[in-house]
Amino acid sequence: MKHVIYIFLSLIFYNGHAGALVIGSDISEITIGANFSGQDLLVFGAFYSDPSLPRDAKGDVIIEVKGPPQTVQVRKKKSFYGFWLNSTEVTFREVPGFYYLTSTTEINDELLNKNSISLLTPQDTQEIEWGKIRMPRDRHDFLNAMKRNKNNLDLFAVSNDLDEIQILDGNLFKTNIPIPNTVPIGNYTVSVYLLINSELKQDYSYNFKVKRVGIESMIHSLALNFPVIYGFLAVVIAGLMGWISAEMFRRLRKT
Amino acid sequence: MNIYLPIAELSVNILLILSLGGAVGFLSGMLGLGGGFLMTPLLMFIGIPPNVAVATSANQIVAASVSGALSHWRQGLVDIKMGMYLLLGGLFGSITGIWIFQLLTSAGQIETFLAIVYFILLFSIGTLMLIESSQVIRDRIRKKTVKRKMHYHNWAHRLPFKVRFYSSNLYISVIPPIIIGYFIGILSATMGIGGSFILIPAMIYFLGMPTSKVIGTSLFQIIFITALVTLLHATSTFAVDAMLAFILILSSVVGAQLGVLFTNKFRGEELRALLAIVVLAVAIKIGTDLLIQPADVFSISVLKELY
Repeated sequence: MKHVIYIFLSLIFYNGHAGALVIGSDISEITIGANFSGQDLLVFGAFYSDPSLPRDAKGDVIIEVKGPPQTVQVRKKKSFYGFWLNSTEVTFREVPGFYYLTSTTEINDELLNKNSISLLTPQDTQEIEWGKIRMPRDRHDFLNAMKRNKNNLDLFAVSNDLDEIQILDGNLFKTNIPIPNTVPIGNYTVSVYLLINSELKQDYSYNFKVKRVGIESMIHSLALNFPVIYGFLAVVIAGLMGWISAEMFRRLRKT
Repeated sequence: MNIYLPIAELSVNILLILSLGGAVGFLSGMLGLGGGFLMTPLLMFIGIPPNVAVATSANQIVAASVSGALSHWRQGLVDIKMGMYLLLGGLFGSITGIWIFQLLTSAGQIETFLAIVYFILLFSIGTLMLIESSQVIRDRIRKKTVKRKMHYHNWAHRLPFKVRFYSSNLYISVIPPIIIGYFIGILSATMGIGGSFILIPAMIYFLGMPTSKVIGTSLFQIIFITALVTLLHATSTFAVDAMLAFILILSSVVGAQLGVLFTNKFRGEELRALLAIVVLAVAIKIGTDLLIQPADVFSISVLKELY
């Protein structure tokens, strides 16, 4: 059963001339169990037209989902005497483990940059360890390679499909964000931005968690927190399984 | 049906893993080989990260070698003293191996390293097996019986620190078993294999051990080396996936028993020739992957954070 939580934003705007936004989500956490194979995250809400705005004001929304920060190394292969080996590498810090951006309108880059709506914020860009990569064009290649590779894993997407966010009755919107089975665990942020006549008027965000449950969670935390015990257990279990199977099949063969 | 692997951090088709474990177990039961040399590259082919493939394969071999060693133990076919000297070398070898593994991982070259060593290993095993089995088949067709000579290069006699191995009827230096153990330890830790296909001929030709004791003794030492390698990987690379190991062990023990049943029904040479072709195919796939320009010259890896 899906437990539904609604997050209502207080709609008071002191400057008095903005549209208002109400958003909700159907889940507060995504649990990764043994048979987790991905899940759709429903993001929905409503925006109301403001009487103080001209009647033909155009309302749009941008929805951004960001996963927990990770350190990502990007390596480039070069041919050494016919063998393709990794050579140069760049380390990106604070890269969201999952990133999804979708909107109801063409978004101009200037707006995105101004509001830091992107995979890497300006601070994150400062922290990139470029190593031997100096040329802006080469750096650009590495950044694009990171995005492309994450896109192949369904962990990064900027949707071009303007109809992805469904608009119902002119002011209700909803969309499904595909969360793949490769997502990292941690805290996720969903941000919804309201644009009126292509101007950012309001934004609101909320969090949800992706966490492990059941035996997966036990195995993972034991392996990382108590590696010695975990290693011993792995060896003992394997040894016992080998012994039991040998005994079992020996008896089976005798009968 | 999919299952989520907690350490590899991805979800895989459980039937794929079961059939992989079953097939490798079947081959190892049928031919009396460990099968680690096929397990690790096949795991990497299906998308398991190389460190998880190596560490988990070592974990799986613990079970396979316990299972195999028991029957040899019952028949008194294990030279424990020899096993101990091999282990002594193996202890240092596996520590060296883990160190090499971590060094290559941080340099971003572990995948290339594994591709190169696996290519060399599988190509030579495949070629040798194909030559050997086709010779046996040819001899059988010509109705020739060939007497195989046993080589006993007892150069081990000339080295110092000689010890009497009563079980194997040997009086040799302890240096060769320690050195052999050391190299097997390195191979085990870096490649996720037991190394019996190198260990067994080395024990016969270099140490001059009786063939009857060789398999049991090698299995005996592989239990402890792979156990140590599992422990070392668990504490240094954090790459042992207990869930994956559990599924592989379950399927491979059943596969191995079926393989043993099949051995009696088919001729070994044909099966070995068939396996040789499979091994060569895997080797060629790994080799060409190294030489062909990858579709994307860039690759990414996420640094594991401890929390």
